[in-house]
Amino acid sequence: MKKAIDSIMPSSSAGMSRIDGRLKVTGAAKYSAEYTPAGLTYGVLVGSTITKGSITSIDTKAAGQAPGVLAVITHLNAPKVPGDQPEGGKPVPPKGAFKVFYDDKIYYNGQPIALVIADTFERALFGASLVKAQYHTDKHITNLPDNRSNGFPPRGEGTYKRGTEDAWKAAPFKVEQEYIVPTVTHNPMELHAIIANWDADNKLSVWDKTQGVKGTQEDLAHLFKLPVENVQVHSQFVGGAFGSALRTWPHEVAAIIGAKVVKKPVKLVLSRADMFTSVGYRPFTWQKIAIGATADGKLTGITHEAAGQTSSYENFTEGPTGVSQNLYACPNVNTKYHLVALDIATPTWMRGPGEATGSFALESALDELSYSLKLDPVELRLRNYAEKDPESGKPFSSKFLNEAYQLGADHIGWSERKQEPASVKKDGWLVGYGMAGGMFGAYRSGATIRAKMNTDGSLLLQSAVSDIGPGTGTAMVLIASEQMGIPAEKIRFEMGDSSLPNAPTQGGSATTASVGSAVYQACADLKEKFQKLIGNGGTDKPDYAKVLKEHNLPSLEVVTETGGGNGMEKYAMNSWSVHFVKVLVNPATGVVKIDKVACVADSGHIISPKTARSQVVGGAIGGIGMALMEESIIDHRYGRYINNNFADYHVPVNADIPQIDALFVNKPDPIINPMGAKGMAEIALIGMAAAVANAVYNASGKRVRDLPITPDKVMA
Amino acid sequence: MKQFQYVRPATQQGVLDVINKPGTKIIAGGTNLVDLMKRGVTAPDKLVDINQLPLKTIAATKTGLHIGALALNSVVSENAVVADKHPLLAMALKAGASPQLRNMATVGGNMMQRTRCGYFYDVTMPCNKRAPGTGCGAIEGINRMHAIFGASPQCIAVHPSDMCVALAALDATVIVAGKKGERRLPFTEFHRLPGDHPELDNHLAKDELITGVEIPDNNFAKNSYYLKIRDRQSYAFALVSVAAALDIENGTIKDARLAMGGVAHKPWRLFDAEKSLIGKKATEENFEHAAQLAMRGAKGYGNNSFKLKLAPATIAEALKHAAGLV
Amino acid sequence: MESKKTCTGPDEGLDIKDSSRRNFLKQSTLLTAIALTPGTAIKAAADHVDEQFAAVFEKMPLKMEVNGKQQSLSVEPRSTLLDILREQLDLTGTKKGCDHGQCGACTVHVDGHRVNSCLTLGIMVNGKKITTIEGLAKGDQLHPMQEAFIKHDGFQCGYCTPGQIMSAVACIREGHANSEHEIREYMSGNICRCGAYPNIVNAIQEVKDGGMKV
Repeated sequence: MKKAIDSIMPSSSAGMSRIDGRLKVTGAAKYSAEYTPAGLTYGVLVGSTITKGSITSIDTKAAGQAPGVLAVITHLNAPKVPGDQPEGGKPVPPKGAFKVFYDDKIYYNGQPIALVIADTFERALFGASLVKAQYHTDKHITNLPDNRSNGFPPRGEGTYKRGTEDAWKAAPFKVEQEYIVPTVTHNPMELHAIIANWDADNKLSVWDKTQGVKGTQEDLAHLFKLPVENVQVHSQFVGGAFGSALRTWPHEVAAIIGAKVVKKPVKLVLSRADMFTSVGYRPFTWQKIAIGATADGKLTGITHEAAGQTSSYENFTEGPTGVSQNLYACPNVNTKYHLVALDIATPTWMRGPGEATGSFALESALDELSYSLKLDPVELRLRNYAEKDPESGKPFSSKFLNEAYQLGADHIGWSERKQEPASVKKDGWLVGYGMAGGMFGAYRSGATIRAKMNTDGSLLLQSAVSDIGPGTGTAMVLIASEQMGIPAEKIRFEMGDSSLPNAPTQGGSATTASVGSAVYQACADLKEKFQKLIGNGGTDKPDYAKVLKEHNLPSLEVVTETGGGNGMEKYAMNSWSVHFVKVLVNPATGVVKIDKVACVADSGHIISPKTARSQVVGGAIGGIGMALMEESIIDHRYGRYINNNFADYHVPVNADIPQIDALFVNKPDPIINPMGAKGMAEIALIGMAAAVANAVYNASGKRVRDLPITPDKVMA
Repeated sequence: MKQFQYVRPATQQGVLDVINKPGTKIIAGGTNLVDLMKRGVTAPDKLVDINQLPLKTIAATKTGLHIGALALNSVVSENAVVADKHPLLAMALKAGASPQLRNMATVGGNMMQRTRCGYFYDVTMPCNKRAPGTGCGAIEGINRMHAIFGASPQCIAVHPSDMCVALAALDATVIVAGKKGERRLPFTEFHRLPGDHPELDNHLAKDELITGVEIPDNNFAKNSYYLKIRDRQSYAFALVSVAAALDIENGTIKDARLAMGGVAHKPWRLFDAEKSLIGKKATEENFEHAAQLAMRGAKGYGNNSFKLKLAPATIAEALKHAAGLV
Repeated sequence: MESKKTCTGPDEGLDIKDSSRRNFLKQSTLLTAIALTPGTAIKAAADHVDEQFAAVFEKMPLKMEVNGKQQSLSVEPRSTLLDILREQLDLTGTKKGCDHGQCGACTVHVDGHRVNSCLTLGIMVNGKKITTIEGLAKGDQLHPMQEAFIKHDGFQCGYCTPGQIMSAVACIREGHANSEHEIREYMSGNICRCGAYPNIVNAIQEVKDGGMKV
């Protein structure tokens, strides 16, 4: 597959359509809450209304007597979760995952304090409204900026230095600014949901929204002290996640506890409000960047400080400063990353974790520097282009970011851009252009594929992998189709079930590289098996059905396991992206409209142009949301979210989004895997927020350093 | 949501007979009421469905246009007479909610919709509108969306409607049926300011039913504009919105109507600004002057103080659009 | 409730044109009602035999045509059309994304018009025709909009897709698909978090421009 191909810009209709498209457009695709095991009951969680303290009493009488209610579970009566209990002899670790219904302690507002189970959803919901708790309230803190001085370095990841510390100070041109990325919530369209059922005392089945059925299976087996094979996890369709389904959350455990109590399957669907407190979020992060440069635009030093929020009971780290260490060839870099523990739920990885936050600061600061230098921002980046990994000195497995800059600049019409801010006006709107780039490590982990050729010439591929939306099955079928030389329609890809062969959790843009490599190798193994049957002189891609019939075989099968990232010791491996944005800014009202977008990905060889394009377009739109409107707002007096719904937490709607051009350098990476493909989910978003902010500055002269860029900030 | 009784009286009289009982609420489109019930903000014992009442007609009268209280927002916004005679109303309706919600929401229901204040919606928070005496969470809290005009120490919530802003500007009349018969009141006097009773949104009595609105004929059709500033391009409540209607003859403004949304507990009519425009030329300068006049008495509460600048900017922009200067 | 009035069930000022409701009225004397009601309601009724009983009266008949098929159900007045479709009729193609009319995932057609089924009380669509995503294709033959969504990749995760498609069909039928700009505005009641908006617009334009009957 390692063909040198020209860059491409697919249209929305180019290439093979999704293999599961028909199921999705007919409503036949079943998501986790849509199964109906016999005797199904409904669970609704009750959340804490205080932010810190303890439950002094909890009145469940009215709820318990309400029509249809089967059980009300609290910390007072919940069966113990064996994996939550301290192990004999071992000290209890000071921090760890939140344990639902474990004790009376309240760590965050909205924390589940009770589960009401009833025979219908309506009755469970009403029952939940009748549970009343009394609390002892302690003083809480939920505000990062006011408590930044309480920050602490995460274990082993706090600081980084190469060259001279704070070298930027001695430079003739410098920028020093603070940036804020607020709390942003994944908010996939599908509400997180689980149906839990105990098939026997020691056998558990769940239909669960998860990005990794195997990971969930292991977590649940550990928590409930079950043999792994006694836990079945089904997650055939996942209605988006963006990171929110990367770990096992309290509501999943609660539903399983509930099913144990009522001895029936329990369906638990979070509310949209719960989605803000129960399944993680991108953490509020304060950053300070200082950059120094010579008069000809050579970077002499970058200092990058970040403080991100975490919960009081768990340390969540992502690496917002990493981008300053790796994106540009700068001899002197020092970074510091602190966590601030607040009385909130633990954040989690969200699309482009760390890098999306860090790149907003770095790429904004670089843009600011370009104006001090009176240098084109693309040119500034090219003058500091890293030909090898600045941190390790290793060569890149592949890097064509310079070509990506060129493609994007040509496509957006960068030559129309004026360096002078607020200097172009059309039909009453200020016009501006901005750009920013992103990078993300290109990872690969082990995966196993079962590949079975049948006598009708159809190929069945099986893997436990989830698909949260990128079109994993479609890409896998395309890889197999090319390797086997059979049409895609002849190939079926089964996935999203823990009984299937091992696959990594879908995250970190690594699925195609990991599972794809296994598919590639499984196809090679299967072909080899056919070669052995045929003997000498056979073709590489025979008529498989005919061979099977000739040998009187019902099918031929291989189970192939491939390993993790090869080449990591010799090479630095990354995907790269650059986003170009043209915006219109209303000078009177501060309204920003996205007029044109060109995103370029250097993510190796493109296997599935149609779905790859959609992923880049989707990432760009996620970045537009982050740039212009997304912010989960806490009223710190109460420690409670005030906009925990889709009317007040704005994500982009159709009217916000123009046509978005997705371009691909499309050059295979010769090292990472046999397909030459690198990940693209994260880089599709990383850098986008800065590109928009930079365009807003170019259009209006207004530099907004605290996201989101709402009209009030632009007109201020 | 608790269980409730659902009734569907066949006649208007049947509705009037039951609505004044405690715990009883009228339901029409349900887009706001069902939402509020789901959030526990309101918990009626009985819902009175009025959708079968013959209150859907849109018809010209001798002096204007009558729109039935049950006419759907989508139907009104697409109605040919409305588009021709009162484009301001059509524009405002189309700026509100989503196509699906407009297919459900009625004119009367739109008038009766309650504030979108986050403290009102969260039953664990203080809110004098939802639970009198508990205090106002917004006044010293997150108040980016809140009022800059006519607020009280009890409440700084805003009325969320777009349609009502246009109807206030167009000098519409509200027609109300009660046990004692029909009464009519100016649209601008239908909604009220919070004062010491923020729990009351308007002057409709408990035993009354909105049956329709009437818009008097006017000469504003050619020069009307509804400008809504929001955090995204569609499907969002207004930070500030302005309904502007001008009657311009030979470049001179003969008459003007201006109202704002997103700034007060009711659609906020800008009488002084209107007066300042009459007899003046339709110029940017005059519009900006009017916009400044409109801001008398405005007060910011922190997060929403940007509206002190955004509101006049939006007024001037809306007037420019209405006058065809943009 | 304060008034001491004999329970009459949910029958005040009944719409007499509706025969199912009339039949229901005949049944809803206190005694038959008790006989039909689960135990909890009987307990409540025994304590206060007055209008409070009506408040706990649990279910009402609902007749509606869903995807061409007549459905006769017994529902609580508080049940939304969305929950009835998903939980009682197992028509899970209609999605719950917010449950508050803020995302459009639950969009269905009621008598041909798109609405948010999460804010629609089931009892209020008595006698109406409902079309959900499951009712759009003719057997194996997909609706042109479904075909266009597949061709233009108008989705990733697929969760908002049924609502988008129901909205898209309505968008053309309403006459609001005359330009890209108009389509964007009239599709803004359907949130797609994966960000398939441009593809959705392309799909709708193709169906519109193709002049296919929707």
